[in-house]
Parts: sequence; structure tokens; C-alpha cells
Amino acid sequence: MTCLNKNKRGTETLLDYCAGTLERERAEAIENHARECAACRALITAQKNLWNALEEVDAPEISADFDARLYARIAQEEAQPTWRVWWSRISLSGITWKPVLTAVAAAAILAVGLTVYAPKLQDSLRQIRSDSVDVEQLEVTLQDLEMLTPPSASVGKTPAGKM
Amino acid sequence: MEGVAALERDAQLMLRVREGDEGSFALLLNQHRRPVVHFLFRMVQNQAISEELAQEVFLRVYRSRASYEPTAKFTTWLFRIATHVGLNWIRDRKHERGHESLEEEVIEGVGRQIPDRRPTVEHRMVSEARLDEVRRAVDALPAKQRAAVVMHKYHELDYDQIAAALGISGSALKSLLFRAYETLRARLSHMA
Repeated sequence: MTCLNKNKRGTETLLDYCAGTLERERAEAIENHARECAACRALITAQKNLWNALEEVDAPEISADFDARLYARIAQEEAQPTWRVWWSRISLSGITWKPVLTAVAAAAILAVGLTVYAPKLQDSLRQIRSDSVDVEQLEVTLQDLEMLTPPSASVGKTPAGKM
Repeated sequence: MEGVAALERDAQLMLRVREGDEGSFALLLNQHRRPVVHFLFRMVQNQAISEELAQEVFLRVYRSRASYEPTAKFTTWLFRIATHVGLNWIRDRKHERGHESLEEEVIEGVGRQIPDRRPTVEHRMVSEARLDEVRRAVDALPAKQRAAVVMHKYHELDYDQIAAALGISGSALKSLLFRAYETLRARLSHMA
């Protein structure tokens, strides 16, 4: 058997052994190993001591009116309007409001920004669109000119003197 | 066999609650009130707060009755809710208290609420100091480690149930428990 602190499953084995939930054969194997291994013996003793110390820590008795208070809360909740029940659930659900508020603030800034800059943006887009029309017209004109130019003229880029 | 029977019984009771049977809710409350309150007490170290949080747990169980499906053990589901409520409370308290020291936390604990049956004053004082030290060591663990130790030590939940309650994998739970017990052994080694 390998040492409890070297084995991957050693933690589980140690805890189960000290809790008394380990099968008899495995428990005996640990005991046999611990007789010869001082490190494991010390670990088992320390864990058993800890287990016993934790055992001593008791929890107090529950208040006698626990159930009555709970049923009162249930009754109170059932008497409330639905929206209020949902609101109290949201506020008690542990939602961290900081990121939510940040997101809301970011959305508000974006909305204001769009409202202020949107008209200017539209103008720019219109301008770009009109620019693109001009380019198209230019292309069409050039194509028309090319079409109108006789083939000889396009060939005749050679200087006239050399013909 | 007993565990399976208990699971079936709890799940059946919860299904009856879903159908509107208030008596079944009372039976579930009667069976699980103590473990839930004690789990939360060991998490927050304050009786009044642990009861308040336990009420929140049972309120959530009651609210969830309509959508309840017995896909996991009832106790796993219940402890998942209790763990969530407990960890949230610890997180919120941390935010509220900021950098207040551990000493103050311990003073606020319920060291004196636990009855001591030892006869003499000296014994009582020694016992109080010892218990206080153990509580302090547990309380000083990170919240998830504390929850894992409490469920493992006091509530006899198996590893799968504890992992499900904490929302972590089985191997993550084992290293969590390993670190927690290692810390506790080191802190309380002088008590042997």
C-alpha cells in the first residue's frame, strides 16, 4: 500500500477511514501500513484528533417558533400581489446589482450618444451615398467614351510619324 | 436500502406538495429543519441568522413546488439551496464589513449560546476555550471549504451530493476537502 499523502485517492481514503465509513478490508490495510509508516500514522492521528474536536462542536437548539414564523412568511407572501412577490424574490435572490447598474448606465450613454450623433451620422451616410453615385456615373461615362472611340484610335497610340 | 427509501419518501412528499398538500410540506419541514438550521449555523456562526437563512431555504423550497421534478436526491437539492443561501450571505457580509478583523467576527459568534454540561467552572472555561478555538478555525476557512467540511463532517452527505450542492466536480471537491482538513489539522494540532 502506498502512503496516504502520496496516493491520488489518499485524501478520500484518509477521510473515510477516520469517519469510520471505509470497508473493513481497506481499513485493515491502512492499519497495517500505518504500523510501519510513521508519516501515515501521524497523519491518521492528526485527522482523528481533528475529527473528534469537530465532533465536540454542537449546534444550538432551534427556536420553538421557527415553524410559526415560516408559515407566517409563507402566508404573507401568498397574500401579496404577484408583482411584489417577484420583486422581493429578485431583491433577495443574491443578484449583485453593481454590474446590472453598470450595464444600464452604459446603455443610457449609448442611447444619448445615438440621439445626439444620429442626425450627423445620417448626413455623412447620405454624403457617402451621393459620392458613390458620382463614381458610378464617372465609370459609366468612361465606358461610354471607350465605346465611342474607334478601335483604330485605341491602337493608334503609336506616334503618327512612325506609321 | 434505508437511504433509497428516504429518498423516495422525500421526493414523494415533495410531489404531493406540488399537488397542494400542505401536510406533506410540514412533514418535510419536520424532517429537514434541524439539519438545515445546523448546517447554516456552522456556516454563519450565529443562531438568529442561521434560522433566518433556513427560513429562506424552506421558503424557496415551497416556492419551487410547482416546478419540482425529482431528478436528484431531495437532500442534495435542499443542501444546494442551503449552500447557495449561506454562501450568498457570507459574500454579502464580506462586502458590508469590508476589512473588519477576524477577531471581531469571533466575538460576534455564539460561543456562549452552546450549553455546557461540565460541572466545574474551570472545566467549563477550558471546554469553552477549546470549542471556541475549533469554531474559530472552521470559521476562518474560505466559505466553500467551510461548506464542504460541514456537509462532510456533520451531515454525512456523500461526495457526489456535496459536489452537487457546491456546483463543483468530484475531483475539485476532494482537493477542496484536502486543503480544508490540512488547514484545520495545522491550526488545531496543538489541541491533541
